[in-house]
Amino acid sequence: MTEPVLEGRVALITGAASGQGRAAARLFAEHGASIVVVDIDDAGAADTVELVEKTGGRAASMHADVSDRDAAGAMVAFATGTFGGLDVLYNNAAVQMSGTLAECTEDDWDRTIATNLDAVFWACRAAIPAMLDGDGGSIVNTASVLGLIGSEGYVAYGAAKAGLVALTRQIAVEYGPTIRANVIAPGSIDTPRFRKVADEMDDGGAFISGLTRVIPLRRLGTAEDVAGIALFLASDQSAYVSGAIIPADGGLAALR
Amino acid sequence: MDTRVCLVTGGASGLGAAVTAQLRTEGWDVVVADLDDAGPGSVRCDVRVDSDVAAAVAAATERGPLRGLVLSAAVETRSPIVECSDDDWRRVIDTNLKGPFLCMKHAVPAMVAAGGGSIVAMGSTLGAIVAPQYPAYCASKYALTNLCKQVAIEHARDAVRANVLSLGPTDTGLFVRLTDMAPDPEAVRAGVAANLPMARLGRASEVCAAVSFLLDDGSAWTSGAVLPLDGGLAARRM
Repeated sequence: MTEPVLEGRVALITGAASGQGRAAARLFAEHGASIVVVDIDDAGAADTVELVEKTGGRAASMHADVSDRDAAGAMVAFATGTFGGLDVLYNNAAVQMSGTLAECTEDDWDRTIATNLDAVFWACRAAIPAMLDGDGGSIVNTASVLGLIGSEGYVAYGAAKAGLVALTRQIAVEYGPTIRANVIAPGSIDTPRFRKVADEMDDGGAFISGLTRVIPLRRLGTAEDVAGIALFLASDQSAYVSGAIIPADGGLAALR
Repeated sequence: MDTRVCLVTGGASGLGAAVTAQLRTEGWDVVVADLDDAGPGSVRCDVRVDSDVAAAVAAATERGPLRGLVLSAAVETRSPIVECSDDDWRRVIDTNLKGPFLCMKHAVPAMVAAGGGSIVAMGSTLGAIVAPQYPAYCASKYALTNLCKQVAIEHARDAVRANVLSLGPTDTGLFVRLTDMAPDPEAVRAGVAANLPMARLGRASEVCAAVSFLLDDGSAWTSGAVLPLDGGLAARRM
């Protein structure tokens, strides 16, 4: 039987119209949370809400582009207005702009930093007071293995994700008594976005099989793999965990 | 000795100025890029502005092959996260992170053309650890470390290296600037020093020596590294 570890909690998930965000929305709702689905994809967000409601859960969606500075306050107000509070903030939305130093334009840089770093800062800054008003809360931020190690072809993305790691630990220390903040660092997760990147390659199939061979667990991750970690971090099961970075990468970071 | 040019951002004051003076004694032709005028051999440059950075790099390459880049320009802001204003966040992230991105973007092709080069970024122990009240600064410095690692890997085969100095509290520059705001700066500095394994602050001369090491070919096998200069502080951290 599913333990309702998030019973009575309100969880706001950005980028919840698909992939990891959607998987988390479904899993959190199954465990009793009311879900605020935030995305720029209205149709996908509506589908997520429907999926949650079909299994007896509660969810509401809101259109917001997290890279828009004003979105942060609006989504937190929507959460508290709709469900009466905010207990969990899961910053999952991101853009995966790839590019080397030579390829990455100033616009690419600005857009990546805005969505993957600034947006998380804005969201946390808006959510923390709401959490402090309640019984505290849990912030879960999606970074990336690329934010922990050096790579190539991801200058802006890697830098933004590293900044996000530092910001999260900062929150963990600064708001310690009442708010926990942790990082999930996914590796290669088999989501629609990942498939799209692979499909755009000359030989995406060989890329995926080559990648799978070096991952210690010998498979790509699933959105559900990541959602399971997010649930743990969102709930009191991780009550003594804060400022942690949990790789969701099938062991790849250990290999490197 | 052949001409070798080094561009130093933030070289008009603090550690950047100390590094500039030291490198000049070692035969480097140093071009300072700073918001403030640093006299001959300097270019006014806001590292957040692409055209300023392009002009600074052009001024450096005009003098000879660009072999060195020292990323020393940085700003900070002090406030809890919920009180950190949009303007403060933007200023710190753009100066400390986007600035180095733009500088490397323009300088690396010049270094490749010169047959190789070395980049030294002034990081901070605050990039590796947490300092309440400095959310933007910590995020910017940790991100800078990642950025340098990426550049190190991407350009390893071009003989362009990128390394980070992870600076602890030092007797020159940012730490002094910050502690000067306290009612009794000397007492604060003494207190911080007492808590370091070596029980003293770092010295500008020690930072200069590390920069020289990383710029010179003696460190040719070192790239993407983070070198702590912090009196042993990093040893206490995970």
